[in-house]
Amino acid sequence: MARRPDEEYDYLFKVVLIGDSGVGKSNLLSRFTRNEFCLESKSTIGVEFATRTLEVEGRTIKAQIWDTAGQERYRAITSAYYRGALGALLVYDVTKPTTFENVSRWLKELRDHADANIVIMLIGNKTDLKHLRAVATEDAQSYAEKEGLSFIETSALEATNVEKAFQTILAEIYRIISKKSLSSGEPAPSSVKEGKTITVGGPEPAKKPCCSSS
Amino acid sequence: MEKKRLDDHEPGPIPSPRAVDRFGFVKQDANTSSDGLVKSRPANEYERVREERRVRKWRKMIGVGGSDWKHYVRKKPHVVKRRIRKGIPDCLRGLVWQLISGSRDLLLMNPGVYEQLVIYETSASELDIIRDISRTFPSHVFFQQRHGPGQRSLYNVLKAYSVFDRNVGYVQGMGFLAGLLLLYMSEEDAFWLLVALLKGAVQAPMEGLYLAGLPLVQQYLFQLEQLVREHLPKLGEHFSNEMINPSMYASQWFITVFSYSFPFPLALRIWDVFLNEGVVIVFKVGLALLKYCHDDLVKLPFEKLIHALRNFPEDAMDPDTLLPLAYSFKVSKRLEELRQQYEKQQGKSVQSRESRQLVEN
Repeated sequence: MARRPDEEYDYLFKVVLIGDSGVGKSNLLSRFTRNEFCLESKSTIGVEFATRTLEVEGRTIKAQIWDTAGQERYRAITSAYYRGALGALLVYDVTKPTTFENVSRWLKELRDHADANIVIMLIGNKTDLKHLRAVATEDAQSYAEKEGLSFIETSALEATNVEKAFQTILAEIYRIISKKSLSSGEPAPSSVKEGKTITVGGPEPAKKPCCSSS
Repeated sequence: MEKKRLDDHEPGPIPSPRAVDRFGFVKQDANTSSDGLVKSRPANEYERVREERRVRKWRKMIGVGGSDWKHYVRKKPHVVKRRIRKGIPDCLRGLVWQLISGSRDLLLMNPGVYEQLVIYETSASELDIIRDISRTFPSHVFFQQRHGPGQRSLYNVLKAYSVFDRNVGYVQGMGFLAGLLLLYMSEEDAFWLLVALLKGAVQAPMEGLYLAGLPLVQQYLFQLEQLVREHLPKLGEHFSNEMINPSMYASQWFITVFSYSFPFPLALRIWDVFLNEGVVIVFKVGLALLKYCHDDLVKLPFEKLIHALRNFPEDAMDPDTLLPLAYSFKVSKRLEELRQQYEKQQGKSVQSRESRQLVEN
């Protein structure tokens, strides 16, 4: 079989990286896309962007990842990037409890601005700082279960679980996409031209009933 | 080597083991000569003499401690503008920046205020500021040492500002402004220059870049998008075909006035003009960058385009090439029209949002 040129892939998935400032979003991205970690990294202003193509469940998937500034005031710019995203990696810092406490606010952000069917993965980053850990794995795990999120702990510095985190969310998105095309009776698109993103669900996020307890 | 590093824990300046350029940034790669060092070291006698003559001219224009400056500006504004566009001599930059921004007057009118803000007041933003201190110019020797004088000054200036104006507080990006200023002046001087910029002592106030909703960022991005369409129509069309919008590449141009990721010698030259002529230079430089790379950019698809817009080639960022190109764009009048257009639109959308809310309630 002839080798695929670099630009060819079966699916293009847009994913956003969100979470409080300083939790390591940019380094998770650089670890995943370039296998780099920068100790002297600058705070992100606005949005950054990177891609990587990889095999997931036998398919070639191109992940198009938007990394966003974490400070609350930047949401005025960054929330526009949630639209059309199929996945969100919601990152907190296992050594900083406030960044975990703020996860619920980020979920609300996603509900307000992202597509309703977006796949969300909760990521506890910086597990290399063992002596500073302040958020227990079990607490985050049970929170994730309650909210219906996948969950993993990572260390961008030691490259622990970073690959797995991205693999998992991309696989989950893929399963939803293929199930969706099965149920709608259409064959799953086997090849998508560059620049086209597949969107799950309608363009409008589903309205929540006003009495919802969330 | 290991032993020496241990000794460095004593207070005082650390001898930097890494090579730095003439502005104090750690060199990424010993082979690159983009730092201006090679060029500016008495490369030739002629250059050195010319530079000395330039400094003498500037000193005369400024007077002792800035005493003649205002008089000179009134008498020969065009000469001042022209000379600033050619670049302020580095040894006088800190002083001249304070003179043209109006910050010197603010300092003189407010004795003791800065100290009060730093020492006695507390700020809700302290933790946010601390978190970003080591992430501001991390490759500059002055800011590298943990809790060193550079980091302490940066913290003080940002904290003082966050108290001085609690509506703005601290927003990521402000550290790059303060950091740049601190390389050329004292803490207190840097603080008042920051005040002059955000409150608009001479030029239009910048604070809207950092207020809730980042209203001025949104306005500038709108204006930039229109200007690109008008001045570089082919590229503007390519951007809309590829779904590129300016928030993907230009937010930091405005929020940090090119100090976030552009080569330092270029950033300084832009700041010279920025302090004297205002934000219009940011638009002009942006257009110049796009124009310089135009023929490459129009060929690139989405992803490569984004990459290119965040990584301009070295030759595009040579101040002596880029700035003359920037000056050739005439945009002031159009910017004002676009501002009015934007405000009208905003007014409309606010109105329609409000009426929708009324209906929903």
